[in-house]
Amino acid sequence: MSDSGFLTIAEAAGEIAAKRLSPVELTRACIERVHALDDRLHTIVHLTEERALAEARAAEAEIAAGRYRGPLHGIPIGLKDIVDTKGIPTTCQSKILQDNIPDADAACAERLAAAGTVLIGKTTTHEFADGGPSFDLPEPPARNPWNTDHFTAGSSSGTGAGVAAGLFLGGIGTDTGGSIRGPAALCGIAGIKPTYGLVSRAGVAPAAFSLDHIGPMAWTAADCALMLQVLAGHDPRDPASASRPIPDYAASLGKGVKGLKIGVIHHFHEVDYPVSDGVRRGIDAAIATYHDLGAEIHEVSLSPLQDWGACGSLISITERAATYEEWARTRLGDFGERVQRRLMLGALVSGVDYVQAVRRRRELRGELRAAMEGLDVVLTASQTAEAPKIDAVPLWDTFAAPSFTMPFNVAGYPAVTVCAGFGAGGLPVAIQLVGKPFQEATLLRIADAFEKATPFRAARPPMRAAKAAA
Amino acid sequence: MPQDLDDQSLEFLLARAGLTLNAAQKAELKSVYPGIAAMAARVRQKRGIMAEPAHSYGFTEEDL
Repeated sequence: MSDSGFLTIAEAAGEIAAKRLSPVELTRACIERVHALDDRLHTIVHLTEERALAEARAAEAEIAAGRYRGPLHGIPIGLKDIVDTKGIPTTCQSKILQDNIPDADAACAERLAAAGTVLIGKTTTHEFADGGPSFDLPEPPARNPWNTDHFTAGSSSGTGAGVAAGLFLGGIGTDTGGSIRGPAALCGIAGIKPTYGLVSRAGVAPAAFSLDHIGPMAWTAADCALMLQVLAGHDPRDPASASRPIPDYAASLGKGVKGLKIGVIHHFHEVDYPVSDGVRRGIDAAIATYHDLGAEIHEVSLSPLQDWGACGSLISITERAATYEEWARTRLGDFGERVQRRLMLGALVSGVDYVQAVRRRRELRGELRAAMEGLDVVLTASQTAEAPKIDAVPLWDTFAAPSFTMPFNVAGYPAVTVCAGFGAGGLPVAIQLVGKPFQEATLLRIADAFEKATPFRAARPPMRAAKAAA
Repeated sequence: MPQDLDDQSLEFLLARAGLTLNAAQKAELKSVYPGIAAMAARVRQKRGIMAEPAHSYGFTEEDL
């Protein structure tokens, strides 16, 4: 197997632009790896092999003719299967949409295609981006390439596992309570949930309207910056879309963190819900790394993690129940068991509960705004522990443990997860960095500095190494 | 706010939601109700009547 699929987007883009790497060769390498590995990983629910090769050939011809579109031109990607793709099945991993073939691309798919990307396939998701690892859906759940007995987290599980395994170089995830940052953490990659409104939600199946975010997942924060450059921007088709100038996200990378101010929310992962030893060590080492790089470290205190979780969960449960109400009433049995449970919860939340949660949301966002005054980012855990066994994820995980990612869906603030080492069983652990609204450039700069100061981007999932050596 | 849900109340809530559940599903839903009640309690803070929700309604250029 060729190693070219192991390149980062930035590395591949440099080679493609210099005409030392053919997009067709790169695409073939990725497809070869899909055929070699995906029977164990289950990251792709619909492989678009012919289309990918056609797009790669077109990219190669355009570049040869001097029409290079930019760093994503000729780069193989995956799109989560809740993202509409014109003429390509978009099933949301549900029996209900098995025959759904959209007649238009989602905004994010459209932007990535216009940038010249090559679509390798639609990636595995939890059903309608909800629930958990389910074995009663049309396709099996994705598995973690660091150990296939383990969970990827979700719901952007196929994108996370596929990037880690080098089946494509980047992809789209969606994040309602952590569905980009969870798989990024457990699969050892980078993933950013942008500020609410920065990336259009148009054409992506909703989970919970006011918490849903679309964002990139890739091997590095720098790659996420390249993807976000293409994805960000106003779209009148999304009523929440922000109309703001888009900075050059890659321009601030490499400027270091000296003098920047990082707040740490210790009580989230030490008091409110103590994390595993591996995650704790990763966070402590990351704080020490930033200190050594010249950042100022400050302490931040917020309402307990459980308050943020309660607020986000009530909103999420209710908005989801409203979205899928008709099918829940008429076709509940056609959903997988996990999503049936989530939809049932909607009956237990009153309208007043929902409005109180939305009032609490304003208070919590104000609290975060005040706490971040004078700071550039805050740092916290991304997940409670290393990836659990795939068959050990509780059915009612809404109540099992508070989410470290949900607070920033509640606030709408941008948050990125990057690999912070390896814990029990050699499985990845991660940190989460949170920026101020629309300050993704600073956020990615700080994440990138950490990746470049630590050795974790050199480590690849062992199943890749074993296959590549074979 | 009650911490438990009796059968009659659950039947009312399910009828209002339009959901048809089997006995096992109803039992499960009753078992997790305390978790929802705890969440509902957590979002109720001391706040005055003027406290606005996060979502506000306004006009856009297209409305004008």
